[in-house]
Amino acid sequence: MNDRQLLVRDLLVLLALTGWALALPGIASDFVIAMALTCLMYVALSTSWTLFCGATRYLSLATSAFFGIGAYTTAVALEHLPWVATIALGSGIAALTAVVMGLAVLHLRGTYFAVLTFGMAELIRHAISYFEKSVSGTVGRVLTVVPELQTIYLTVLVLAVGTVGLSIWLRRTRFGLALVGIGADEQRAQTLGVDTRRVKVIGFALTAAVAGAVGAAMAVRWTYIDPHTAFNPFIGFQTVLIALIGGVATLWGPLLAAIVFSVLAETLRLQAPQVYMMTLGLLLILCVLYLPGGLASLRWSTFQGWRRDMAGWWKARRHEWSGDKEREKQRARRQRVLGA
Amino acid sequence: MHGDSASSAPERGSSVAAPERVPLLEARQLTVRFGGLVAVDRVDARFHAGELVGIIGPNGAGKTTFFNAISGVQTPTSGRLELAGRDLTGRKPHQFARLGLARTFQTPRVFADLPVAANIEFGLKFAGRRPRKWWLWGEERGVSWALRDAQSILSLIGLTAQAGLRAADVTPAQQRLLEIGMALATRPRMLLLDEVAAGLTEAEVEEMARLIKRLRDELDLSVVWIEHAVTVLLRYVERVIVLHQGAKIADARPHEVIRDPKVVEAYLGDEIIELDKVAA
Repeated sequence: MNDRQLLVRDLLVLLALTGWALALPGIASDFVIAMALTCLMYVALSTSWTLFCGATRYLSLATSAFFGIGAYTTAVALEHLPWVATIALGSGIAALTAVVMGLAVLHLRGTYFAVLTFGMAELIRHAISYFEKSVSGTVGRVLTVVPELQTIYLTVLVLAVGTVGLSIWLRRTRFGLALVGIGADEQRAQTLGVDTRRVKVIGFALTAAVAGAVGAAMAVRWTYIDPHTAFNPFIGFQTVLIALIGGVATLWGPLLAAIVFSVLAETLRLQAPQVYMMTLGLLLILCVLYLPGGLASLRWSTFQGWRRDMAGWWKARRHEWSGDKEREKQRARRQRVLGA
Repeated sequence: MHGDSASSAPERGSSVAAPERVPLLEARQLTVRFGGLVAVDRVDARFHAGELVGIIGPNGAGKTTFFNAISGVQTPTSGRLELAGRDLTGRKPHQFARLGLARTFQTPRVFADLPVAANIEFGLKFAGRRPRKWWLWGEERGVSWALRDAQSILSLIGLTAQAGLRAADVTPAQQRLLEIGMALATRPRMLLLDEVAAGLTEAEVEEMARLIKRLRDELDLSVVWIEHAVTVLLRYVERVIVLHQGAKIADARPHEVIRDPKVVEAYLGDEIIELDKVAA
């Protein structure tokens, strides 16, 4: 497929998925809609995460901070502002935070970057807790006027579709190419004329803007918001896990993994929360060991390859257990003795 | 042979450079210090438009550090760097690239997962990008014909047949060519080559040297070339700068340099026999 055909395919798939998601509230129960909402939330979060972190290979653990900033903005501003403005504000504040954070830590790479982003997320969480306790005199905020589930669903759907669309588009721009270049060899990209610092900060802010908007939209699902639920680090970790298992360099991987995850989460988490966490861990290990490209890199030939490997392994075992291997070894030894 | 000898350096094999001519790139008292170690010690060097200059020196002479400093990868501790009279000191590497200084790296640093053609296009899309004839339409302005697109650059370096392969899948020698192609894609005024012939066979080194000379002649570039294979380098360049322990000890035509007692001493007889071969 050439580039144009790929673009048409991606857009058609996105259109079809959007159609299904739009039709869902008309045919499904509230439980299914709630599940789809979580799914869409993770689609938006992990797609926006791969947009920057997947391409540049900067592992950011700050998603929960941006999500929390969005959620907290809603908690404070929803009474005074209309719904869309609240989300735009949450997204904007998260992006601004990312610019400041990015300027401070984006010159670091690898583990240092990951640890520092996580540290900064914790710092923001504790700073807000402290502020609420000592200045506002509360430990949390109650949301009184909350939009309907339908409105929230549509908002998150728009955000998810927008993020995937943004990802499709960015892959074909100079900006996307610059991100890939930074991921492959940052210094080389720099000597070929990429202003790496600017590109990284803008990319990081873009990720944060989406996470902030999703946080702002999802906050109304909880009627009571305190810093520890809004800045739950688990949301950040799960975003990264979904992206890694789905495939960080792919477009559809995070979406695929987000669907798998939310189904797993809703079916397993209530009955057997430990099993859910163990499944996450196991999937991650399996993906890292056997499927480094993620779920989206699975092809029919991958299964065929596994089948061939298994068949080969089984043949070797049979050869060993039947005693043929030992006999052949002895025969070879005898011949060597005779030959000498 | 120190300092002022640069101004009397020969130009393209012709007579003597006019002293008032502004060099394309000029380093003045360039110093790079790592803690207590002085890697580059107050080096003065001038590179004129269209020149092919070699930089040699024994191991640890500070060649690559000097190179990193003049290509913007390493910020010099002190000293000044000017490109056609414009101060470059303290600028970022991407600005060096946009102003027309392109470099290669000692070990090829190609984008391994991208196809060969996409590797070339990368430079064309960033430092090599020029305004188009009619705003968003038409060919790019002020670009030499040989560098007009990825295909033309690939045919210039002779990698047309490999255009569709992943950069990781071509041979090391081809990766070195690709590395030069990526630098050319930034449409430079000056090409800085860091040991492009290292690890190549003798025939390949010869071919590489011819390619460098041809690029200089056809594209009107100035080329600065660092190399360990001194013998080949001395046969092709017009001027040689010799670095030893971070300092410049010679700056003259190849046949003058190899008779310079300071150079002979610095190499400690190492490659003098080979140097004599050049003179012959």
